[in-house]
Amino acid sequence: MVRAQLFVTCMVDLFRPRAGVAAVQVLERRGVEVEFPGGQSCCGQFAYNAGHHREAAAMGRQLVRAFEPSDAASPSADPPTVIALSGSCAAMIKHEMPDLLERDALQRGRTPATAARWRRRAEALADRVVELSEWLDRQAVPGPEGVGTRAESGGPASSGGPGYAGASGSSTPLKVASHTGCHMRRLLGATEAPLSVLRRAGVEPVELDDAEQCCGFGGSFGLLEPDISAAMADAKLANLATARGDGVTCLVSADLGCLMQLGGRLDRQGDAFPMLHLAEAVDLADRHRLTPADIERTARSQEADPDAR
Amino acid sequence: MPGELPPAGATWPERRRRALADPAMRAAVAKSTRSLAVKKEAVFATYPAAEAMRKRAVIARRGSLARVDALLDELTRRVEARGGHVVRAAGPADVGRYVLDVARRRGVQRVVKSKSMATEEIALNEQLENAGLHVRETDLGEYIIQLAGERPAHILVPASHKTRQQVRALFDEEAAACAVDPPVGDATPELTAFARRQLRADFLAADMGISGGNFLVAETGTLVLITNEGNGRMTTSLPRVHIAVVGIDKIVATWADLADLLQQPALSGTGQRLSTYTTFITGPRREGELDGPEEFHLVLLDNGRHELLGTEFVDILACIRCGACLNVCPVFRTIGGQAYGTMYSGPIGVVLTPLLGGLERAPELPKSACALCYACADACPMEIDLPRHILALRRTEVERGMEPWSDRLTFELWGRFWANPAGFRFTGRIARLGQRVYVRDGRLKGAPGLVGGWTATRNAPPLARESFHEWWARRRASRTGS
Repeated sequence: MVRAQLFVTCMVDLFRPRAGVAAVQVLERRGVEVEFPGGQSCCGQFAYNAGHHREAAAMGRQLVRAFEPSDAASPSADPPTVIALSGSCAAMIKHEMPDLLERDALQRGRTPATAARWRRRAEALADRVVELSEWLDRQAVPGPEGVGTRAESGGPASSGGPGYAGASGSSTPLKVASHTGCHMRRLLGATEAPLSVLRRAGVEPVELDDAEQCCGFGGSFGLLEPDISAAMADAKLANLATARGDGVTCLVSADLGCLMQLGGRLDRQGDAFPMLHLAEAVDLADRHRLTPADIERTARSQEADPDAR
Repeated sequence: MPGELPPAGATWPERRRRALADPAMRAAVAKSTRSLAVKKEAVFATYPAAEAMRKRAVIARRGSLARVDALLDELTRRVEARGGHVVRAAGPADVGRYVLDVARRRGVQRVVKSKSMATEEIALNEQLENAGLHVRETDLGEYIIQLAGERPAHILVPASHKTRQQVRALFDEEAAACAVDPPVGDATPELTAFARRQLRADFLAADMGISGGNFLVAETGTLVLITNEGNGRMTTSLPRVHIAVVGIDKIVATWADLADLLQQPALSGTGQRLSTYTTFITGPRREGELDGPEEFHLVLLDNGRHELLGTEFVDILACIRCGACLNVCPVFRTIGGQAYGTMYSGPIGVVLTPLLGGLERAPELPKSACALCYACADACPMEIDLPRHILALRRTEVERGMEPWSDRLTFELWGRFWANPAGFRFTGRIARLGQRVYVRDGRLKGAPGLVGGWTATRNAPPLARESFHEWWARRRASRTGS
């Protein structure tokens, strides 16, 4: 069995644990032994982007510790992949954390050797981190477990087991709007992965006009500048309205930050439209339930355990 | 020496408010930036040589910056050998003094200018007008905003925030003031015909032409001017005196370097392969030549640039003022250029304004005018790492204690709690209890402190009843228990 560690991110943990649960189920269906290191909290990006590098580094060190293989684990085995439920947080770890931890250690008066050690530990984590849709996309090759074989064999009936099971039996695939976050797009360069994952989930992903424009979330920017941030969201929502006119059933993103920004703005305007984390969309597809009714139901509940409501 | 920029005028909240309340301006900006960005993509996609040339240009630019002082010395010798005058100016006052000295000596009363960000930076028009000179901007966009009494809203297309109807109104007013016929309509050719007629008279009457410069070639002492309107040529050849005010960062070593750089402003700025007019100026009119100014002066402007050499920000000096970063910036598209309170708007302005004018001049720009989407980093043809610089400026503001104490406290506590697992889970539980005050209809509609910025314009779901951490623990317990 393949082992993988799940990094749910602080936002999924607190605001949408259901996306984390969906990811666990999606991964387990694909034969992954999922581990959840309990020491994880936040990648520190919010503080980092706000200029608070000391606080970001403290969170970053904790994240590095949380995912480091314990000595008890078989030392010869390769450390497991870390699957992240956010392109933005994955980018923070991969692009910023090694520099940040080294620089911060030096600023706190640690020796250059200690600082270099923090850099190496952060680099080791960075090497293992993969954003969820990129990981799923890499599983595309038909394997012994039948993962990812649906697209060609066509139709949900062909697959009862793990893998992309498809949405429904209808011949015209369901249209979903796909939004790729800026860091996923530009820092990870993962523009195709979410689209191909959605396609293999049996739906037709539609990118919005001006897809490459930011939704306005922007971490601390979105809190300091609520009006500019909302105006940016409105521009994105105007393009979503066009897509809604063309029949998309929901908005899917691999970044919860963007979904909260767009969903929260829409909700403030008294409008409702289902928004799903990519893990949730794939989970529904796996269960042959990527239908308008189930999308609606899933989008409405944030709870890890839907029965908790 | 640090530089000096003109003050922002209104406060940031006031500028922001005005921008957001101006739908016509915002629509015009969104349209023009989008169109320029699309044209840029298209030219790179259809011009196979462009990308390799751009890469060589980056190397050329960085190479020149690495030996600015030696190149400026070489440039000075070459220009002087050709009969030009070269002067180094530390800041706005130095330039103003020098230009006014020349004007007084040569009996200058009327000045025409071609588009120049360097002279905007030092508010040269204001300095000259205060001394009684008549100054006319001759780039169409600059002419428009001069009539409007504004600052350029975009580095490359200064009046792109104005609609044709607004331009016509300005021209009508000008026509009345000058007692000439107004434009016959608000179609672009009708508006440009009016401007051309007006400006032609200004060119012919001018005693002095002031230009900027896109590049300076050290090996021959040549000033390079790129324009799309031809006004640059008239400005630099018709009046008796030509003064070019150019930032020291515009230096390039050789014509070979220039060959790679020359097309870059057009490629990334307007999506053209080359701008319409490329002008090379090497000294004043010589014996036997028919046109050109009697005197040529080159003012090399520092204004905080030299200080950036050898710092982490040095690559900002490689900027060719093409405006590509503005055209892709979602914040610029939303608020337009005037809101930045500086002639350098958009991502480049967010970085350049505090670097040239001091962080205190524009503390709001790094944190409030950037969503860190990295679009500018991808767009910049000179590969300037704008997001990294913005992150560095934000860090500097925090280190200098330039934010409200309550924000600092929030981050300190946040960092302390979230840097350990128990603290993280504890804050989650506390927040779940605390949010009850703010939850209405199952949504978070308010929040204290920093987070209140979120709920000012957006709802949020309340924190989930069970976090993922808790779900996982429960699941594991039930599995091991069964």
